[in-house]
Amino acid sequence: MSVIKEYKCSNCGAGLEFDPPSGHWKCNYCLSQFTKEQVGSDSPSEESLEKQMEELTSYTCTSCGAELIADGTTSATFCLYCRNHTIIKTRFSGKFKPRGVIPFRLTKNEVKEIYKKWINKRIFAPNEFKQKEEIDKITGIYAPFWLFDCNSEGAIIGEGLRVSTWTQGDYQYTNTKYYEIIRRGSTKYQKVPVDASKKLDDKFMHMIEPYKYDDLTDFSMKYMAGFMAEKYDVESTEAETVMKERVEKYIEDRLRDTVNGYNSYIIKNKHISLSNISNEYSMLPIYLLNNKYKGKDHIFIVNGQTGKVVGDTPTSHLKQLAFAGCIFVLVWIVSVFGGAFFV
Amino acid sequence: MFKKIINICLIFIVTTIIGVVTIGASESNHVKDYLNYLTDHEINQLEQTIDTIRDEYSLDVVIVIVDDTEGKSSMDFADDYYDYNGYGIGEDYSGLLMLINMDQREVWISTTGRAIDIFTDSRISNMVNNIVGPLSEGRYYEASYSFLSDTKSYAKQGVPRNQYRVDGVNEIQNNTAVYVKPTYFQKVMSLIQFFPIYIVAFVISVVTTVLLSLSRKGKITINRQTYEKNNSFRLSEVTDRYIRQTTTRTKIHRNSGGGSGGSSVHTGSSGRSHGGGGGRF
Repeated sequence: MSVIKEYKCSNCGAGLEFDPPSGHWKCNYCLSQFTKEQVGSDSPSEESLEKQMEELTSYTCTSCGAELIADGTTSATFCLYCRNHTIIKTRFSGKFKPRGVIPFRLTKNEVKEIYKKWINKRIFAPNEFKQKEEIDKITGIYAPFWLFDCNSEGAIIGEGLRVSTWTQGDYQYTNTKYYEIIRRGSTKYQKVPVDASKKLDDKFMHMIEPYKYDDLTDFSMKYMAGFMAEKYDVESTEAETVMKERVEKYIEDRLRDTVNGYNSYIIKNKHISLSNISNEYSMLPIYLLNNKYKGKDHIFIVNGQTGKVVGDTPTSHLKQLAFAGCIFVLVWIVSVFGGAFFV
Repeated sequence: MFKKIINICLIFIVTTIIGVVTIGASESNHVKDYLNYLTDHEINQLEQTIDTIRDEYSLDVVIVIVDDTEGKSSMDFADDYYDYNGYGIGEDYSGLLMLINMDQREVWISTTGRAIDIFTDSRISNMVNNIVGPLSEGRYYEASYSFLSDTKSYAKQGVPRNQYRVDGVNEIQNNTAVYVKPTYFQKVMSLIQFFPIYIVAFVISVVTTVLLSLSRKGKITINRQTYEKNNSFRLSEVTDRYIRQTTTRTKIHRNSGGGSGGSSVHTGSSGRSHGGGGGRF
């Protein structure tokens, strides 16, 4: 059987793509729309994904017959020649079969508008960079994430200080009271996401959080239609250490929040343990634009569900200087000409 | 009670008589040399200079040489001497007094009214430095002369630009010091030369630029509770145990002087404000 998958319109045979606003599948040629069940009805069952399939190095586009060479982790892509979407089934099979997916909510056109607004606000970005016509390169990608659940238990032991000061005669008195403060507690964490792709910058992926998990559904390859997708190349054990670090900080902060009424509180000792750790491999939607400028990559990422933006632009020092100069002159004018009314 | 009032009256009468006698004994009004360190000729010379200062700058000038300050500090004695002997020109009794206190070997310059603004702390300390030298060598006339010539030159310069006690501009018109309310233009001109504005503007511009440059990437909007299961947080132990306390004390350093551009001011027993400063010789 074929290792690549394409969902076709039952009316005209063209490729179907997932349409974020309606949540349906749409044929861009005859404009027919199909529900999930209708798309599924004319494709073979996905049970076969449970079994790890043999990895191939090249694929043939089902639409035009061209040979596709996909990047090692790319799991859904487009044919370079006919732009037909192609899902590489092997890369969603076996241990790479995701458990859940949050479908895209934003369309590419909406994201283009978001990008325009965002880039206009980057006052220090060089004009050359701003005017680059890169906007069409924005791509919707299902990014692989590990979603961790765990229980956590923690204790913090520290010293709190209450300081009061008063003056008497020529002296200022400072009284410091020392307290030993202990807090112990437990909590459960659900679906802590950890970026499972080495290609995508962890820092940026962390910044586009949070996702709303109400939209999280069981994985189906159908959602991949019309988008790019990546498979994980960060093992769950590796991701678990990242998750642990985050969660340990969460519970520590949470316990610390319950310490009130002190001028300062220093944690001297802490014990934190995590248990019942489980993970789900899931695909979460992002829009990505990788903009090269003077040999450096500048990334723009939008959360494909909520529209939260993170990104990075080059900085024009000339613009910074001009801006600082303007502020300087402005403050000076206001203080001299305005200030003269008051002195 | 009745006795007390009589006593007070007696003291009053006696001091008045003494006052009248001493004023009568001294020929000069503005150079009070109770120890006869100065010759009549020298007193005359000083009086003449004082008269020109009075005429040109509307500032009264008094020189007092004593060896008994009635138990008062040099500052208090100088202030009181000026206030209770009717010195001062104009509504604010502008003028200054140099007290040479031979008992304490101290010199004190007390300023009143407009003189407080002209003779800033740093100017007074310059004047005192110029006086202390000749005084320690017993050259009283030279000390007095130095005091008068400094007074003259500072009065001519007027209120320093960065002086912060006044809001007027001192101008000399027809050789007379006149107080003129500054125009808006003059205020702007003086602010243009006010250096701290440049520093503040520079700091604000750098800080805003840095802040705007930093915020360009994006923010982390999740927190410690984002992924917490609802109502799953349980506190099992809350201990706040008092251990010990410490109390420390530090001496408060009260700032006693103004900076280079300021005049420190105090209030004399008469209720008038005085500036001034002094030194030992």
